[in-house]
Amino acid sequence: MELPLYAALLTFVVLAAIVAVFLRDILSSIIALAGFSFGAAIVYVLLSAPDVALTEAAVGAGATTVLFLVTIVKTVRPSGERIFERIRWGPVALVTALFGGLLVTLPSLPRVGDPAAPVTAGEVTTYYLENAYPETGVENVVTAVLAAYRGFDTLGEATVVIAAGIAVLIVLRREVFV
Amino acid sequence: MSGTDNRGTYVESTIIMTTIRLVSPFVFAYGLFVMFHGAESAGGGFQGGVIAAASLILVAFAFGIEPTREWITDGPARTAIAVGAFTFVGIGLGGIVVGGRFLEYEAYGIHHGTKYGIELVELGIGAIVAGVILSLFMNLAAGFTEDGGEQE
Repeated sequence: MELPLYAALLTFVVLAAIVAVFLRDILSSIIALAGFSFGAAIVYVLLSAPDVALTEAAVGAGATTVLFLVTIVKTVRPSGERIFERIRWGPVALVTALFGGLLVTLPSLPRVGDPAAPVTAGEVTTYYLENAYPETGVENVVTAVLAAYRGFDTLGEATVVIAAGIAVLIVLRREVFV
Repeated sequence: MSGTDNRGTYVESTIIMTTIRLVSPFVFAYGLFVMFHGAESAGGGFQGGVIAAASLILVAFAFGIEPTREWITDGPARTAIAVGAFTFVGIGLGGIVVGGRFLEYEAYGIHHGTKYGIELVELGIGAIVAGVILSLFMNLAAGFTEDGGEQE
């Protein structure tokens, strides 16, 4: 029952990614990329990772798409009738080599849902799963790890968001607004 | 869009305006829910902040970006970023002040202190993220409704 669903979703995600890369019109590329993000979000939901899915849907499909859209308004559309980008073989070879290299590492990864995988059976995971609720009173273990056990790291993350935001805003300010 | 086809960037549409007038308060409330309820269900500050910002971006799409930018100037977004950052760091440093360690929520000695601490931190993160996304959008989109898509 689940397998065809995964197969369909993953096919969709991969196709959307390929289309996003090869489409010549950036607007269509952005829409394909949003489709990719939505597909990925649904895959995450099926893999029981709702926090990641919510992030992918809100940031990947939502905010990024909107920011891309308001950015490309300032660019020029390519002229001509071709729908797809011309393929340059140098980069293709490079990407294929990288992809092949990554594929080699695939067999050493644990299977999806493997109960003996280090990430589910490891000492740290077990500790969090057993102690997160008694120690923090928070039911969502992801939030407990994010804001309590790894609170300092999250502060770093928030700092990165602020720093990146300020940097981009300073650059944009030079052009328009305030 | 410049170049070959020159569509107007903003067309006033009753359907879109009415829909968004109805929907955006709920989207904003959902953003707050995701922020507050991150402790019990999926979500948290990062996601909630984006959703809350999205509700205002929806308004910008429906009512035109320039009017929205006049309504939400840079000030509130900047204030949200600063307040969020100070909340997060303040809660962290407060732990030291009351005799614990940095970000040690238990040191406050409140019942369920950790939980409230986590929720406040999530709200802080949400304010930061919403502020950054909103000001990025407003600044990127600055100026293109006035002269039909072209600006410079």
